[in-house]
Parts: sequence; structure tokens; C-alpha cells
Amino acid sequence: MTAPTPTRPQDQPSVLDSLPGELMMWVLILSELAVFGAGLAAFLAVRITDPAGFAEAQTHLHRTGAGINTVVLVTSGWLAALAVQAAEAGRKVRLRGLLALASALGVVFLVLKGSEYADLARAGIGFETHAFFTFSYLLTGFHAAHVIAGILLLGLVGALATPRAVETGAAFWHMVDLVWVLLFPVVYLL
Amino acid sequence: MTVTTAWALLIALSAASTLLAASGLQGAAFTVAVLVLAGWKSRLILGRYLGLAVAPVWQRGFDWILALVLILFAVLALAA
Repeated sequence: MTAPTPTRPQDQPSVLDSLPGELMMWVLILSELAVFGAGLAAFLAVRITDPAGFAEAQTHLHRTGAGINTVVLVTSGWLAALAVQAAEAGRKVRLRGLLALASALGVVFLVLKGSEYADLARAGIGFETHAFFTFSYLLTGFHAAHVIAGILLLGLVGALATPRAVETGAAFWHMVDLVWVLLFPVVYLL
Repeated sequence: MTVTTAWALLIALSAASTLLAASGLQGAAFTVAVLVLAGWKSRLILGRYLGLAVAPVWQRGFDWILALVLILFAVLALAA
């Protein structure tokens, strides 16, 4: 009878191995959450100094449009998640179709956001009109820049069509979705 | 839970947020309810879309981060 071979520490799976997807994408997700979290906390902290002004300023935003945009982004995220499954199953045509639909919803999001910006501009409301708008333009504008980057990234990983690339691109898209889910109630509802 | 079930839940929770905003409810109850819904949606995205549900240790870590962030938001919102 042979004695069992002792397990070396380097042979045991590390806790990092259980993390799904690319480690660097998770570092990016945490970084983005920290940046937007700090921005939203600063927004709420400044609101303490002028709650009436912030409440009045908020009425100029498109609350319904932002609510629709939440549905648009979570649906887009669902399509991206289905694209990851299609990539794992080797179904390239399906994954490309799903990513194209997810990207198209990203464009819908930007169109709705753009119509809100256009209405604010028509009303003479700019970056410096009130602290509320300084923060809301910064936060939603920075988020919209991520949506544009995400659309480009989905196009790139759709062209590559490998499971690893699609998973990484979808993870970025879910991060954009996640940030919006936290940004929407703070800027539009509270 | 499949990603499609998670999506259906996310749509339902988004509708709940909109209904809550349209209800005219205000004050601490509204603030807490809206942030709880946001936390629930975030957890679904992390767990089901990003796959953390298969990595319980990481899911718990993100739960803690999310809870702390939302508590901070609630405290700041209620201080106004």
C-alpha cells in the first residue's frame, strides 16, 4: 500500500480561481464602482446643503425616460448574457446576433439620454446652472461614455467570437448596467 | 435561476421602482424602499449576469460592499 501523496499548497485552488471570467475585468468593475460610488456619495453630500434646490432641479430631468432606459439596459445585459452562453456552445451566428441586439439597445439608451440633454439645453440649463446639474451631467455623461465604449467593445468581441472574448466584453457591459442601476435611483428618484 | 429568470425579475423590480416613484410616497420609507430595490437589482446583475452566484465567497464579498455603499447613500439621503 502506498502512502497518500501530501497535497502541496501550490496545487490547491486559490480563491481567485473561483472568480468567474477575467481577473482584470473584475479589477475594472471594482474600480468603476468605486469611482461612481464616490461620485454619487458626493452628489448626496452636496444635496444636504440645498435639498429644495436639488428637488426643484430634479423635476427638469426625464424621469420616465430614465426608467425606460433601466429596462433597456437590463434587457441589453440579458442579451449579452445569452451571447456568452451561445459562445460557449460554439454558436457564432447566434452570439453575433445577440450582441448586435444588445448594442442596438445601447444605442436606444443613448438616444433617450441625448433627448434629455437636448431638452435641458433648450431650457437653458447647463453644467453651471446648479450644483445638481454639475453632478448629474458629470455622472450621467461619464456613464454614457462607458455605454459608447461598451457598444464598441461588443462589436469587437462579436468579430472575435471566442468564448473568452465574449465573456470579457459582456462583463464590461454588465458593469455599465450595474452602474446605471445604482445611478438611476440616486439622481432621478431620491 | 437562469439568466432569463433573472432578467424577468430585473424588469419586475424596475417596474416596482417606477411605481414607487409615481405613488407619491416620500421620506425615509421611500428612500429605503428605492435603495433596497436598487440593491436587489445590483445583486441579480452581479450574481446571474456576471456569474458570481457560482462563487459564493466572492458573492458575499460583493454583498458586503454593496450593502455598505447603499447604507452610506441612505444616510446621506436622509440627512438632507
